[in-house]
Amino acid sequence: MSTAPGERSTPPQAVLVEDLHKRFPSHRSLWQTLRHPTRREWVESLQGVSFSVARGEFFGVLGPNGAGKTTLFKCLTGLVTPDRGRLSLHGQDVLRSTRLARAQVGVVFANERAMNWRLDARENLRLFAALYNIPVAEVNDRVEALLQLVELTDTGQRLAGTFSSGMKQRLSLARALLTDPPILLLDEPTRSLDPVSAGRFRTFLREQVVARGRTVVMATHAAEEAFGLCDRVLVLDRGRVLAIDTAARLADRFADHVYRAWIREPGHPALGVAGGRLLDQLTTHDGWYVVEFPDCGTAQDAAAVLRRLVAAGVEISRFERMGLSLGEFLERIVAQQPKATS
Amino acid sequence: MRVIIAMLRATWRAAASYRLATVFSLLGLAFTVVPLYFVAGALQGTMAGSIQDEGGQYFAFILAGLMATTIITEAVSTIPGNVGSAAASGTLDSLFLTPTPAVVLFAGLSAYGFLWTLLRTALLLIGGAALGAPIVWTSVPQALLVLALLTLAYLPFGLLMTASQIAFRTSGPFMSGLLLISTLLGGVYYPVNVIPSWLRSLAGFVPLSYGLRAFRKLLLEGVPLASVWSDLAMLSLFAVVLGALGVAAIAMAFRYARRTGGLSQY
Repeated sequence: MSTAPGERSTPPQAVLVEDLHKRFPSHRSLWQTLRHPTRREWVESLQGVSFSVARGEFFGVLGPNGAGKTTLFKCLTGLVTPDRGRLSLHGQDVLRSTRLARAQVGVVFANERAMNWRLDARENLRLFAALYNIPVAEVNDRVEALLQLVELTDTGQRLAGTFSSGMKQRLSLARALLTDPPILLLDEPTRSLDPVSAGRFRTFLREQVVARGRTVVMATHAAEEAFGLCDRVLVLDRGRVLAIDTAARLADRFADHVYRAWIREPGHPALGVAGGRLLDQLTTHDGWYVVEFPDCGTAQDAAAVLRRLVAAGVEISRFERMGLSLGEFLERIVAQQPKATS
Repeated sequence: MRVIIAMLRATWRAAASYRLATVFSLLGLAFTVVPLYFVAGALQGTMAGSIQDEGGQYFAFILAGLMATTIITEAVSTIPGNVGSAAASGTLDSLFLTPTPAVVLFAGLSAYGFLWTLLRTALLLIGGAALGAPIVWTSVPQALLVLALLTLAYLPFGLLMTASQIAFRTSGPFMSGLLLISTLLGGVYYPVNVIPSWLRSLAGFVPLSYGLRAFRKLLLEGVPLASVWSDLAMLSLFAVVLGALGVAAIAMAFRYARRTGGLSQY
């Protein structure tokens, strides 16, 4: 599609990252510095990371601690200058037009202390409204609308420091939405939350953010979170992109295969035929043994295994898909990577 | 201005939630001035001759020194202190991500501290006057102008330490070193003319020595502003030269911190 002269073209991607490299000097002790004053050691934090996020997409960046997720977010927000590479947010170059690029994003940090704890929720939002230069006449309406959106209207006058972790994260989200930015960057938003609060926050994200079609880039180290919320997921490990695909395809290829069954007879011959292995012969759960099926395949394949076991007379009280740990998940991806030719 | 007022209001709201600390801070002033009055009274005979050119009364002399020291301490420490605590608490990232320029953020972070220091300085003045310090009230506006210039001369040191805070997460021992040197050579407790000649030449590099001399002459003797012009000129020179260095240091610190990843807290 051509663009008329003088008309600014709209980039199709909300976020574009090309060949991003960043390394940091590694920490050295005083003794090491004195012994080798000129030696420099580096930690490669991002090594040629490239990806793009379409408008309205919910994009996940999945990786363990030290994968480079936070550095990536710092680069995207202009808090860290990359060594090499290109970054743009809604067509605004982050390095050349940092202020314009920043105006395209709202950021929720993993650190819940990003708000002033000695102020109430309303005061916090009003302060940031001033910092974001939101017109005075609009501030009150916008703050109230956001408090309603994040379900904090009734607690708007309580000091933020007295909030639960989940409430603090919702308040951070409200702050990120103050300017109604087209892109949201969520850096491990559930990291400091207990499982119940994390679940509620995810539900909230799904209902209030995903459903509204905003572009979201979320860093997480929880595979289930990435697959449950995101359209596409980038898997990052030690600064390198291991995989990038739709959440459904990644889950299908790497995470959906392990199932466990709770059975009465660990020695039943049908179990071996179906590829099951007893996890622990001595441990039972009220007389039920746990058998793992490490390669059940897709959900349809798992259903077929279950039908065969029941038909063979295996007594089963529970049969469920196991969430892979991130470590196992990464191992599987690495194992399926094409071997580099020398 | 709107941002500075909003940040000032927010800091006030946060500070007001620590009511007892506020009360104790004000009470602390009384416990500073009253012992000073008695000690100064005891030393009046010894000091009278050497402070003849700066009012002649030792209590008023030392009161003026204390007021100026309070102001320069705030000028030097408030920005690096607030930037440091914002970095430690995790709010600094959020502030830097807003479109508000860093200079306005620094002003907003420091506004409350400066106003509080002004209030404490005013209370020192009133308390000192109540205890018999001969204040020339008609010269107070001119004396305030000197304090403003003194602040501008010391603020760049605060910027240099803020730069260090941004780049290396610490302002190091420089702040206490600077305040110590300023107090020793600036004439806070004794006039500069009583210190040995080899040290006196070093006092020429301390902005407080010019500011305090002018401040005392105006506040305690009521001399016309024009008679302290050379001190004011020196303060202005310090403010301009050090100010340029401070601004350059801040810009370098931001670039360094963005390169090394030290700008944000986590």
